[in-house]
Amino acid sequence: MTASISLRGVGRTFGATRALADVDLDLEPGVIGLLGPNGAGKTTLLRVLATALPPSQGKVRVLGRDPEVPADRTEIRRRLGYLPQEIGFPRGFTAFGFVDYIALLKEWTQPPARHAEVRRVLDQVGLSSAATKRIRAMSSGQRRRVALAQALLGSPPMLILDEPTTGVDPEQRVTLRAVLAELARTSIVVLSTHQTEDVAALCERVIVLDRGRVRYDGQVTELVRQAAGRVWLADRPDPAATVSWRTGTGRYRNVAAHARDGVEHVEPSLEDAYLLLRGGLPDSRPTEEVAS
Amino acid sequence: MTGWHVDDETLRHYVERTDSMAEGASVEQHLLTCAQCRARVNTAATAVDSTMVDLAAVWDRTRDAVEVPRPSVFERLLRAAGIPAHEARLVAAASAFRGVWLVGVAAVLAFAAVAAMIGHARGLWLFLAVAPVAPCLVVAFSYDRRWDPALEPEMVTPYPALRLILLRTIAVLAVALPAVLLLGLFVPGEAPFAWLLPAVGFVAVVLAASTWVSPLNAAMAVSTVWLLTVWRLAARSASPTAVLQPRTQVAFLVLAAASFATFLVRRRHLHQLRPWR
Amino acid sequence: MEGPRSDETLLVGVAERDIGAFRVLYERHAGWLALRLARRCNDRDLVADAVQDTFVAVWQKPRGFRGDGDIAAWLWGIAIRRLVSRLRRRTDVAAMFESTATTPAAEDQVLLSVEHGDLGAALARLSPEMRAVIQAVVLDGLSAKEAAQLLHVPVSSVKTRLYRAKAQLRATLAEGLS
Repeated sequence: MTASISLRGVGRTFGATRALADVDLDLEPGVIGLLGPNGAGKTTLLRVLATALPPSQGKVRVLGRDPEVPADRTEIRRRLGYLPQEIGFPRGFTAFGFVDYIALLKEWTQPPARHAEVRRVLDQVGLSSAATKRIRAMSSGQRRRVALAQALLGSPPMLILDEPTTGVDPEQRVTLRAVLAELARTSIVVLSTHQTEDVAALCERVIVLDRGRVRYDGQVTELVRQAAGRVWLADRPDPAATVSWRTGTGRYRNVAAHARDGVEHVEPSLEDAYLLLRGGLPDSRPTEEVAS
Repeated sequence: MTGWHVDDETLRHYVERTDSMAEGASVEQHLLTCAQCRARVNTAATAVDSTMVDLAAVWDRTRDAVEVPRPSVFERLLRAAGIPAHEARLVAAASAFRGVWLVGVAAVLAFAAVAAMIGHARGLWLFLAVAPVAPCLVVAFSYDRRWDPALEPEMVTPYPALRLILLRTIAVLAVALPAVLLLGLFVPGEAPFAWLLPAVGFVAVVLAASTWVSPLNAAMAVSTVWLLTVWRLAARSASPTAVLQPRTQVAFLVLAAASFATFLVRRRHLHQLRPWR
Repeated sequence: MEGPRSDETLLVGVAERDIGAFRVLYERHAGWLALRLARRCNDRDLVADAVQDTFVAVWQKPRGFRGDGDIAAWLWGIAIRRLVSRLRRRTDVAAMFESTATTPAAEDQVLLSVEHGDLGAALARLSPEMRAVIQAVVLDGLSAKEAAQLLHVPVSSVKTRLYRAKAQLRATLAEGLS
């Protein structure tokens, strides 16, 4: 059983809305970042990968198996951890209680092993001391970490995370990055995020989605290199720039598709490269298609 | 705090239990107020006394007692009934998902029961309109995705989706049915259980329909149809006991069996969650 | 870095369901509590159970501590009563109060009176049964009923022994003075 995921010509429609179209991907162990605006299809793609949603077109092969076949699907799910975009917790559950419940669903039938595993993942997300706290009484960042903990149960070969660091404070984010980096040595970790710093810090590979299509699929360093010479600082926003914004120092950072001479160039960040890519796309304004 | 501390020799006597009563009493009184000497005693005890209690093992048990959710009465009943421990835990945990709308449904039913007691015939119609659909509404709530976002991580676990839904249904019905039963006893009329088979029938219909549409939509549709039917029957001044006829009861039984069979046949379609906005 | 948290702070943490604070409290107090309990009951498993019961009780009612006195004293009060509760169900095990030293020899008696004054010597001259009662009621703070359960004797025996012990102590001390 190979540790890989492949998608060929995958599409997904909801009624009249096309959430994904012509997605071809091959994923290997490592951390893969998924970037894109709201409505780009990130959550839909993650749901397809997590076997929560079948594609409308195309073929998916996960860990050498076909999710359309029920027996295979169960086998895939035994090796899968999934953190959805939104997760609700039932009333009265503590962090330990909820993760223990999911562990039961993941076939951890023996209490001693199950409890030890629950403690292990809660420790990984820094919630050991808060294991007995009611989830409803927690901050949103803590709740996100509880949700991440259940995905980490069993150190699965495939980890699908929809915005794992949203609402999580910077210190905790650093801890989580370390946890994910460690897992990514042998597992495929796909995470979607709005924060380019997370991708820059953690991912070697990034996929940019826009309106259901893959616009970029490659190394983070390569994407950043595309913006070389195309980012500069100035005292005023430059009208020739694709995007420009005021930085904390009071100066303006400008990004444009065409390299300019005679301006104060700076090292591009992933965010610059991402904005450049987005700016260069046809119909880059928000669309009516609200599939996510 | 006092500057006086227990000297090392007395401490050793205390830990080794070679002290006198007065010495021991003195040390013990001091320990109640001195954190430093307590720490010294802790260290000395583990070093000296091999018959000392295994504090690490006691911690493990204490932590379990405090951290691991205690089995509820319901769970213990299930275990006593022969259901394996982890399945019982699942059903009991699933029952936590019933939430506040069980209370709402109970309130409506209670109102209907009171109305039946007071209003007699019309009240009876009201009870008959509400009682059979209450369980299917509650079941629909228990696994409709809009009302239970925790469902999403559950559905991608290896645990069979069908089994999970059935467990939820059982957990919900285990409370809903006795509750309605109890209320039914207050309703004047010959058979307080006449509505049971219709209730079971509607639950089965909702389960089957949830392989096409969302459970809640199905339950709403079923409830509306039933309410309209009851309304029409009441308008025609037919007796509420029409429901008690063996023919009607058998019809509901057949409906229940056919729906459940459909549900089982189409269970593949359950795993496909409907997207929500 | 902040310094070590006080016991009061830890209790507040326990009330807020912070199991990390609970663990620190355990590590600070389980040792001496177990030791003190073991000096009253030589069944190691019973003592272990009593320690467990004590901390579970603390978790369930951290606000039981009213803020009067030391937390250590409060913990001991819970612990000894949990031991009594456990002992009550077991008729084969009785509490013991003997240290490994038996009645001290003459030189030691002198030493005792030098170190602890006459009271030490007077205590040493009590019979083991009377010492046990003094320990349970006077030193451990148990009621006569609880002491009776701990020692597996009738309440009347406890009261009688206590009365006699006090009388003997008074007599011995009076002797010493004169």
